[in-house]
Amino acid sequence: MASFDDLHDYIKSKNNHTKFVNNSEVPQICKSEPCMLGVDEAGRGPVLGPMVYGIAYCPLSQKDVLKTLGCADSKALTEEKRDEILLKILTEKEALENIGWIAEVISPNYISNSMYRRAKHSLNEVSMNSAISLIKQAIELGANIKEVYVDTVGPPEKYQAKLSEIFPNIKITVAKKADSIYPIVSAASIVAKVTRDHALKVWQFHEGLEMDCKDFGSGYPGDPLTKKFIREQIDRVFGYPLLVRFSWSTAELMLQERAAKCNFEEIDDTPNKNSGTQSISSFFSPKNEKKRKKHKFFEERYLTMNNAFE
Amino acid sequence: MSIQVENNLNKSENQEVFEQRAHYIPCNIEEDGHANVSKYFEPYVTDNGDGELTATFRGHHLDGVKMNLPDGYRAIVVTESKRPLAEDADRKFQVAGGFKELYYWNWDKKPSKNDNLFRAMDWIDIAEAVS
Repeated sequence: MASFDDLHDYIKSKNNHTKFVNNSEVPQICKSEPCMLGVDEAGRGPVLGPMVYGIAYCPLSQKDVLKTLGCADSKALTEEKRDEILLKILTEKEALENIGWIAEVISPNYISNSMYRRAKHSLNEVSMNSAISLIKQAIELGANIKEVYVDTVGPPEKYQAKLSEIFPNIKITVAKKADSIYPIVSAASIVAKVTRDHALKVWQFHEGLEMDCKDFGSGYPGDPLTKKFIREQIDRVFGYPLLVRFSWSTAELMLQERAAKCNFEEIDDTPNKNSGTQSISSFFSPKNEKKRKKHKFFEERYLTMNNAFE
Repeated sequence: MSIQVENNLNKSENQEVFEQRAHYIPCNIEEDGHANVSKYFEPYVTDNGDGELTATFRGHHLDGVKMNLPDGYRAIVVTESKRPLAEDADRKFQVAGGFKELYYWNWDKKPSKNDNLFRAMDWIDIAEAVS
């Protein structure tokens, strides 16, 4: 992968309704020397497009390479600047020899499906599982990881304890705004953010919509283009194309208002409404005629003995 | 009351209307009419091998299988242009098409022989025995 065209082709070759991984080769030096690894995510909040988890790693002795590349608080960098840094990571000799990275692209459909499981899977769980699997992958590929730095939005303590349990031989640091403190996390953040931006740029609608990111915007619910998309691109039956995270309240509310109502089977049995006091009018209404009870055989098979066309 | 089923598609050249695919979705959709199944649903039907299929509907994960229609049976779809007001009036239905393939979907649960639609097929053997 040596250019954004390569990145685009790779993203397009993967299906956009599950999740997939994109990774660099492991630099030789990362196999022999002890390395640090940073973890960050991009696109947690938007209602459109994938969430991307990124990791970057380099030898502890080569920290300065990150600074030379310009890895700093990624939120303070413009989109152009982030693109420029990733391109350097992909092409420059010094970077190729010292920095490895992996990105996981988690599709909006994967997120909705997880949150709408019978046993609900929160976004936090999806996130944590992705982070853990990426660290494992780096280790399996042969990188000699000794220190891990993770950016988190939630409370760091629990997260840190969980990671330390899974990776007992690695020094784990989980911190808020790690992105702006540790350059290796900034690098991970750039990998994640740039991958998300480009995944949106090359999004392909299987639903036959002739639109791209110039039409649907950044995906954040505050973006006017995104708002317009959420309001207008509704299919009465299916709701939205799979660019949209159905489980976001912005999307849920709009569908409640503008699409056909859908009732999935309830998991919890609602308590019997007939329990409690009988209404007074029930004493005056004619007694229920004795109906022959349907045999269980038919009940269990959705078979009724009524007129077939009623 | 009597029931009549008219088939105006009988002589039609276009037999494709009888060879459509039907999807049984585990969800009550309060809408009647055309649905963009081929654009919004079928592109995401994935075969995971051994006939185990997955798909997605309104953000919900679906597990499914292709169901065979029992031998000797055909599936048709009928519509009624106007339902009579009186309960015991004669009724008239028009054949709107039919399907050869039926896909059965469950929400986040692998279909099994214990699902009601599969068990409903037991009736076919019994019907033959008592007819």
